[in-house]
Amino acid sequence: MISVKNLKKNFNDHEVLKGISTEIDKGEKIAIIGPSGSGKSTFLRCLNLLEEPDSGEIWFEDQLITDPRTDINKVREHMGMVFQSFNLFANKTVMDNITLAPVKLGLKTADEAKQSALELLQRVGLTEKADSYPASLSGGQKQRIAIVRSLAMNPKVMLFDEPTSALDPEMVGEVLAVIKDLADSGMTMVIVTHEMGFAREVATRVMFIDEGIIMEENEPVKLFTDPQTQRLKDFLSKVL
Amino acid sequence: MNDISTKFYNAFIVKDRWQLYIQGLGVTIEIAVLAGLIGIVIGCIVALMKLSEPKKGHRHSLWWYIATAYVDIIRGTPSVLQLLIMWFIVFASSNNGVLVASLSFGINSGAYVSEIIRAGILAVDKGQMEAGRSLGLSKAQTMKEIVLPQAFKNVLPPIGNEFITLIKETAIVGYVSLSDLTRVASQISSRTYEAFMPLIGAAVIYFVLIKILTLLLEAFERRLRKSDLR
Repeated sequence: MISVKNLKKNFNDHEVLKGISTEIDKGEKIAIIGPSGSGKSTFLRCLNLLEEPDSGEIWFEDQLITDPRTDINKVREHMGMVFQSFNLFANKTVMDNITLAPVKLGLKTADEAKQSALELLQRVGLTEKADSYPASLSGGQKQRIAIVRSLAMNPKVMLFDEPTSALDPEMVGEVLAVIKDLADSGMTMVIVTHEMGFAREVATRVMFIDEGIIMEENEPVKLFTDPQTQRLKDFLSKVL
Repeated sequence: MNDISTKFYNAFIVKDRWQLYIQGLGVTIEIAVLAGLIGIVIGCIVALMKLSEPKKGHRHSLWWYIATAYVDIIRGTPSVLQLLIMWFIVFASSNNGVLVASLSFGINSGAYVSEIIRAGILAVDKGQMEAGRSLGLSKAQTMKEIVLPQAFKNVLPPIGNEFITLIKETAIVGYVSLSDLTRVASQISSRTYEAFMPLIGAAVIYFVLIKILTLLLEAFERRLRKSDLR
């Protein structure tokens, strides 16, 4: 579904991604782990071109999205993204947050969008917040709404950029539950996370990114119990 | 006591002089409102010109340089001088004083307004634009639906402040012999050889005008902010 070939990205003189290549198949749940500053978030943000790579190729369903002639807005309609800091639209109600893009982009009528938004809100247990503004919600509620906002576009893949890192500890569970639910429903997902337990439970493949390359990747049980590289051993000894 | 009432009579009542203050106030308001509108239009355009980011590895656009030069020149020269230049050089052949003055103040104000708007847009969290773009909305759509409405809330207080400054700055149109409130007051004082009443009178009129404006702005801001927290 997504194919990445020798992806490189610099910030000024600092080389953040030093050539990443991987294939992500439909239905896979990839967890990306690694120390901070390793480039894992940058890699995720390159996948929908929120960061523009300096070189390399990214293919999404036979479309070369790193080609400047590709209409990236069209591609992004199929790639949901959830941010660490939620980024709910502060000037819109929860309902408008969810329905804005589908309606503006002509995918749904206002009524259809509202209907499906209510169904999605019910799924995450936040129906009564439909008319609230983001400022009045807790972090956990904001993140669940942000996930719903992405789902309202019926994406083919969901990208999560440290979705629980900005949450108070007691709210992490409610958000992870929603993501796990989504994983169980068969959604293709790429999750940058510090929640090792969650990565182990939900992921079909765990990718350890360090120093701008995929240092090691494997299915979760093997990766966590039998790390091959010294870097991963060190990393796991610190976080587990 | 008798003295004060005579002075008051001379400054405001005799020959219906109060009407002159009202006419002067009319000129002041007319110039300020026209200039304010011109300033906001210019300010929006210039702010967008300055915000257009160069592609990686490219230089700023020609628009950016024009906008930057404009802001630098306007902020780097006194507004009295700008008014005199407009009046005696650029529009020397025009006899519509109010319009020339409005244009001069509008062009002046536009530079300050553009910086206010630019700062207001930059103050909106970057994540708002990213979230919009990640959903497939274009940059223009996200600007219009998400960023600008939030920037509007940011810029309203400083724009109000700028407009208040502008109202008082119009007092320099006396330099090009337009009869605004300040000039009327000073003319009357030179006719009655008594400065206190006309000048304090004019000051009170400015003060009341601006106090009313301030109250209106505060009410408007309160209404805008209500939508944030519910």
